Amino acid sequence: MSSGPSRRRLLAGAGAAAAAAGVGAATGYLARPAATQTARPQADGAATVPFYAPHQAGIATPAQDRLAFGSLNAVDGATREDLRELLKAWTTAAAAMTNGKLVGENTRPYAPPLDTGEAIGSPVSRLTITIGYGPSLFDQRFGLAGRKPEALAQLPPLPNENLDPDYTGGDLCIQACSDDPLVAFHAVRNLARIGMGVVAHNWMELGFGRTSTTTTSQATPRNLLGFKDGTRNIKAEQTALMDDYVWVGGETDQPWLRGGSYLVARKIRVFVENWDRDYLQDQQNVIGRTKAEGAPLTGGGEFTPPGFQATAADGQPVIPPSAHIRLASFEHNDGTRILRRGYSFTDGIDPQAGTLLGGLFFIAFMKNPAQFIRLQRSLAADALNEYIKHTGSAVFACPPGLRWDQHGGQHWGDTLFS
Amino acid sequence: MPPTAGNLGTIALVAGLALAAAGCSSSHGSSAPTSGAPKATTTAVTVDLTPQGCEPRPATAPAGEVDFTVTNKNATAVSEAELRTSDLSKILGEQENLTPGLSGGFSLDIQPGSYTLNCPGAAKQHWTFTVTGAQKGPAWQSNPQLAAAVRSYAGYVDRSAAGLVTRTQAFCRAIDAANMAQAEVLYPKARVYYERIEPVAEIWGSLDTDIDGRWENPVTVPSQFIGFHKIEQLIWADNTLNGAPKLCTGLVANERQLLTLVQTAQYNPLEMASGATDLINEAATSKITGEEERYSNTDLPVFQANVDGAMEVVSLLRPYLARKDPALLAQISQRDKAVETALARYKATPGDDDTGYVEYSTVLDPQRRQLSAAVNALAESLSKLSVQVSG
Repeated sequence: MSSGPSRRRLLAGAGAAAAAAGVGAATGYLARPAATQTARPQADGAATVPFYAPHQAGIATPAQDRLAFGSLNAVDGATREDLRELLKAWTTAAAAMTNGKLVGENTRPYAPPLDTGEAIGSPVSRLTITIGYGPSLFDQRFGLAGRKPEALAQLPPLPNENLDPDYTGGDLCIQACSDDPLVAFHAVRNLARIGMGVVAHNWMELGFGRTSTTTTSQATPRNLLGFKDGTRNIKAEQTALMDDYVWVGGETDQPWLRGGSYLVARKIRVFVENWDRDYLQDQQNVIGRTKAEGAPLTGGGEFTPPGFQATAADGQPVIPPSAHIRLASFEHNDGTRILRRGYSFTDGIDPQAGTLLGGLFFIAFMKNPAQFIRLQRSLAADALNEYIKHTGSAVFACPPGLRWDQHGGQHWGDTLFS
Repeated sequence: MPPTAGNLGTIALVAGLALAAAGCSSSHGSSAPTSGAPKATTTAVTVDLTPQGCEPRPATAPAGEVDFTVTNKNATAVSEAELRTSDLSKILGEQENLTPGLSGGFSLDIQPGSYTLNCPGAAKQHWTFTVTGAQKGPAWQSNPQLAAAVRSYAGYVDRSAAGLVTRTQAFCRAIDAANMAQAEVLYPKARVYYERIEPVAEIWGSLDTDIDGRWENPVTVPSQFIGFHKIEQLIWADNTLNGAPKLCTGLVANERQLLTLVQTAQYNPLEMASGATDLINEAATSKITGEEERYSNTDLPVFQANVDGAMEVVSLLRPYLARKDPALLAQISQRDKAVETALARYKATPGDDDTGYVEYSTVLDPQRRQLSAAVNALAESLSKLSVQVSG
């Protein structure tokens, strides 16, 4: 039997069915009136982020407060044409949602609403929807093997990871970011629903607080360690660094990916209970910064460059050799940088240990996943490893942005499949 | 803000729900809005609220859509007009809160009969409104393909209910003979008949509970846990038949009652379509998790029965859909095939308890997710049927 009283009477239910017509007619679908959007405080930039742009939104876009991230796999039997049609449908829906509209009009009383509806009335809150293609998408199933970028491969085994297959990989990803968690969630939910029959969720994660700054106008947020995170991140204003380290350029073997970027996602569990018991000076030595100000241990303010060469009276480096900011720094990695854009997450309480199941849902964008591999290998000696573990992992190639011209809008997949 | 035509749907809605709630065991109310009813005739009726009353003009309309426009001319003591059944027991539609100068209204699809327009506070409060013409059936009845589908579906439900009784009787005989092994084999063979028509059985809520209720659903009351799943628990979890013969006798009695009820039940295409989605939703939730047949692990055959029941509906609607929405029909067929392919991996001969399938507990989580993706895709397609058959 069903899990509750049937909502629909199978017979003699005609009255209810006819009455439903009244609901459709009376409700309408004028969600998020323009007045609401323009009335929203503009502290973090405009309320809507343009969907059609040279690069996909959600990368250089000033990091929003909230994340919904979906990893999806193609279902058995899905065809190349199914996938292509799905990417078109996703484009249309994403363009609508990021513009504060629902995924479809719906006034037909006997049809399920095209949009699931939970975001009706919520300001769009800078929603961005970014998609990426996983390495597995380029296997034999969709005839895309010849379109696989050489740099797109499963990440090799890396230090301090114990990956849960339930949070690893994916044929496709959807990154939805917004300052409103409901709006971000709504985007992933509706795209997944549209995808039924072609793709199904592999895993999904919600992020509740940004842990990076991607623009000079944003204050540096803190991660669950209680430390400022992203102080030395690449900023969108640093266009030369963006070109050198984030956007895929002419170096790729796949022209369709030029102007795109690689997304590396890592689910990083933080053993917060242990961390919270560490004394302050040690926490600061682990990170290499002060907890309150976020200044490097070599002094100054948050944005003072760390003095990695500085030594104390005893001859030891002021910023310890195993400090996180030293090992992760571009100075320590032949100039290697990435654009971090992660979020704090929690999945509740670990059912076995009773401790917090949460940490950092790390997302970074880069010109080549080799950048992340290089940095993560450096972090093998990271003092922070005592308190963290990488438990999920995925890499995706995010195509470039879509153009809108006199012929209308491009669709995701147009260049991939052409 | 004065009421406008745009926000009046809610008023008719209230009336419609009240009728639906009251109407599930009675015949379609003489004035109940009917799904798929013809919209050909619309009669405009003007009702002016005055201190004297609320005379409908005209006071007679042919059966069909009637659009009442209510205006308060100058009545300070009268602010509403309601259309009620002639015995005043039910409100079918109303416009409230009209102060002098305001107007509003409501629309209804009305069957022939005599009604009362009621305006409390007026010198003459009750005014007769008459709807003429023959009782008209809903529009789908004049579509031969839909009408045939509905007739055939009634036959399918009847046969399934009859099969349920017969197969359950066989199951009970094994129990009476204390033949546990045979009872295990006959249990799923009876269950599938129920699982093909479950949305129909759910109309009579307590019967569904009595036949198919689980321990926690709807309530954790031992005296109400008396159906298939109680016997399943005895056989597979408690390894006893103590008490089973009496439960089985009661189960058959309830199934006989169901059989009697379905033989007089009337269906329509919209309900068939919704029922098909409901069946697959069932498969996607309680079967995928193994919750439904938790003691016997015979989820796969009943999963198949849910799909069979839903696809029977599609099969009966096929001639109609082939013209109305061939793309949807093709999508449903493709997704049904995907479900069958996913299910086929677990077929076995003779299978667990002679079901033709392996025991569901051997189907691991990643495999269940594949099944789930296929069945959810099918349900999503089936949910698009209702608008196609709603006329």
